[in-house]
Amino acid sequence: MRDREIDEILTQAGQAPHEVAPAVLDRVARSIGSSLGPVRPLPPAWALAGGLVLICAAVALAGAARLGLYGIQKLSVLDDALIFPVLGILICLAATAFAGEMIPGSRRRVAPGVFLGAGSLALVAVFAVLFHDYRTERFVSQGVACLTAGLLHAIPAGLASWLLLRRGFAVNSIAAGVAAGTLAGLAGVTMLELHCANFEAPHAMLWHTAVIPLCGAAGALLARAARR
Amino acid sequence: MQPDSDLEMLMARYQRGDFAAATTLIHRLSPQLHRFFVIQFASRGDADDLLQETWMRIHEVRHTYRAGEPVLPWLYAIARHIRVDHYRKACRTAAREERLEEMPEVAAVPPARSGGTPDLEALLAPLPQSQREVIEMLKVAGMSLEEVARATSSSVGSVKQKAHRAYETLRERLSGERLNTGRAGGLS
Repeated sequence: MRDREIDEILTQAGQAPHEVAPAVLDRVARSIGSSLGPVRPLPPAWALAGGLVLICAAVALAGAARLGLYGIQKLSVLDDALIFPVLGILICLAATAFAGEMIPGSRRRVAPGVFLGAGSLALVAVFAVLFHDYRTERFVSQGVACLTAGLLHAIPAGLASWLLLRRGFAVNSIAAGVAAGTLAGLAGVTMLELHCANFEAPHAMLWHTAVIPLCGAAGALLARAARR
Repeated sequence: MQPDSDLEMLMARYQRGDFAAATTLIHRLSPQLHRFFVIQFASRGDADDLLQETWMRIHEVRHTYRAGEPVLPWLYAIARHIRVDHYRKACRTAAREERLEEMPEVAAVPPARSGGTPDLEALLAPLPQSQREVIEMLKVAGMSLEEVARATSSSVGSVKQKAHRAYETLRERLSGERLNTGRAGGLS
């Protein structure tokens, strides 16, 4: 049997009339009519994504300015030219993904979970290329301090992003939570790159990057709890 | 099947609070949404409830539709969400309740329509749910691959793969049926 024949059978079957009880339709129309009023449509997705990027940049800059811009002062031009554009691209992609998750029927280029993994690996790769100091002096104590600072800055970024998109509707709340968490985590990592002057490779690869998956997981857990 | 621009215009009027546009949308789109739920093995009663719930949710989030975007992917994304939510609730309820008797795993296949028209629900019954919804959106709602990908939050490649697998299953089944009919015809 050829595809065309199956097509014909399906089309024929699909065109058969399918009735809905008029009483059901009337009930729906009555329920909607009782609370019908004009609504303000959401802004375009690019405007929402732009707003999210600005929020992340503002949180990262404000946080780093408050704690001290030691990292960016010590980084070389090559380091700056690689780390910040990569972070910028990842933030733009995460913002677009989060805005898309909050608008039903949006085009999804990559699943938020896949993006979270790929983004984290991309950052690990950038740190591996740029930093070659493999000492691990005060690895845990300095690492925990950076991780905490990154997570603490991700919280306001996440809250402000949620506030911006609160009128949206997530058809897959967990995916939206992961996307929001990834974006907030990237804001936290950007703050760390501006602030932290510890360029030991293991430190940056583990403690800085860990902010992203931890925030993504927190976003998923919060979304799951909210769904219940 | 409705011209997209017509639906987009009705959605824009619905967002402006036009009751006539809302009613027209309900009457135009409900049969295919209802069928979408029936095809996912919901009973007609369940499908009625799901349809009503879907319209309530659409009404609640109608501001998330953006002018110029296709209506059907937006609508079906919400309908899918309602169906998944309903399925999750049903699973939770079933887990809490004791089973009194063994229930059949698959709902009874509805009888074939008179007049030789194949019955879509029966035709799609052997397919997994993800393939069934893709075929329903492509063949009943008349959506494009890109629109189905948007409605199901997946890629066009994934939609193509599901449709291809569904066709493979349908080919086997329909060829088998044709063979059996031929044999029966030969015996009689």
